[in-house]
Amino acid sequence: MGVAVPTAVLVLWEIFSRLGIVSPRYFPAPTTVAWTLADRLVAGDLAGDLLVTLTRLALAFALAALPAVPLGLLMGIARPVRDLVEPYLAFVFPVPKITLLPFLLIILGVGEPAFVLTGASSAFFQIVISTLAGVQTMDPRLVEVGRNYGAHGPRLFWKVILPAALPAIFTGLRLGLGLSLVTLVAVEFVAAKSGLGHLVYRHWQMLSTPEMYAAFALVGALGLVLTRGLRALQARVLTWQEDIGV
Amino acid sequence: MRAVGRWLGERWITIGSPLTVLVLWEWASATGLLRAVFFPRPSTIAGHLRDLAMDGTLWGHVATTLVRIGWSFSLAAILGVAIGLAMGLWRRLREGLDPVFAVIYPIPSVLFLPLVSFLVPPGEIALVVTTAVTSFFLIAFTTTHGVRQIDRLVVEAARHYGARGWRLFAAVLLPGALPFIFTGLRLGLGFALIVVVAVEIVSASRGLGALLWLSWQVLKVEDMYATFFVIALLGALLSYGLAALRARLLPWVPDAGDR
Repeated sequence: MGVAVPTAVLVLWEIFSRLGIVSPRYFPAPTTVAWTLADRLVAGDLAGDLLVTLTRLALAFALAALPAVPLGLLMGIARPVRDLVEPYLAFVFPVPKITLLPFLLIILGVGEPAFVLTGASSAFFQIVISTLAGVQTMDPRLVEVGRNYGAHGPRLFWKVILPAALPAIFTGLRLGLGLSLVTLVAVEFVAAKSGLGHLVYRHWQMLSTPEMYAAFALVGALGLVLTRGLRALQARVLTWQEDIGV
Repeated sequence: MRAVGRWLGERWITIGSPLTVLVLWEWASATGLLRAVFFPRPSTIAGHLRDLAMDGTLWGHVATTLVRIGWSFSLAAILGVAIGLAMGLWRRLREGLDPVFAVIYPIPSVLFLPLVSFLVPPGEIALVVTTAVTSFFLIAFTTTHGVRQIDRLVVEAARHYGARGWRLFAAVLLPGALPFIFTGLRLGLGFALIVVVAVEIVSASRGLGALLWLSWQVLKVEDMYATFFVIALLGALLSYGLAALRARLLPWVPDAGDR
């Protein structure tokens, strides 16, 4: 049942495109796209651009997660830090992060640092907010029990607060990685000269639609693998947690 | 007076820190410690914002963006809630559509622009439809989840007392799913803003995203900051305004999307 609808859609698309009911120029047959995808992955630019996007994503994610988790934890523990940082968080969080791109472009120049940092910014805010929420929404009784049994300072943090916040931190990392990918691909689409997002843009402009759909499918597959993979990992590692995050 | 004093006593860091940063920024930019080309003085930015507002340029772009958000959000909300409810009610439909949704949802919405522009007339309609894609999925997902999380016992009890068809739907299922639907709508509206700005950066000549991008291309840095400020204001208004609305309308349920 699970694969019936997608298969049906693809088969119909194939038939319509082959018969010319939909214009094969704009909607090339799925087999044509699949052939192009395989061909370009082996011989063409697709593998290289996939690698470029993956590298940017890894850098952006690391740049976001490394400072964001400690900051979120610190905000959750220390009230003054939270008061200090919260206004900026509240101001920037709802802003589409791609708007940061032109600022980074003028400050850092057109190039990788600006692209990667824009991608990192969207993950950063999500991870800080999820981590902070994890500390704030933990059962206060846990802290009290910990205190009563003599846990203070670092011990209380490592043994009680961090484990309690871990599910939320993981959710933040998962959402952050997804947001990073979305922002990065958008950045590539508008400004970069390489990467999967740029491929879609370029082949759109040149109307080489099989290549466009191939790059598009690759982005979809990447997103699917990342979201599904991390979700499975989360369910495995944090078995006690129920996840309702979208 | 006392209440104000206490409020200030609790919030002085939250209010003081941005003010301090602004003053420091003004001073550093005026003395040349920060390069004014990249970081113009906040007072200069405010002046440019006023100019943009006075000659009407700003309002034109704001109105364009708001109208696009309005259309996209309505499209996404109507289709999303309808399909989400249907998927929550009928298992076969849910199992059929789930894999399609799973593949399409993580794709960045800007990438749909080429596809959509093949399907519908390019220009305004393509822009609105592209913007609606992500919001639609979010709203459909949360609505489905909202129907599914309703306690089976409640539904059984309602059936037992003779509620069927429309009555069951309107009196039990819809109210039960409403908090989740509202969360979906709130997230969807937030995403409509995010996507519309991105799409405007890519392809439009009007709207806030376009204004920001065009200001960058001609290096009008002050206008960039002014536009960014307006976008941020709009974002805050949409997300916090809607959260406040939910707290008023549905005060008995925690927001399912706050994590």
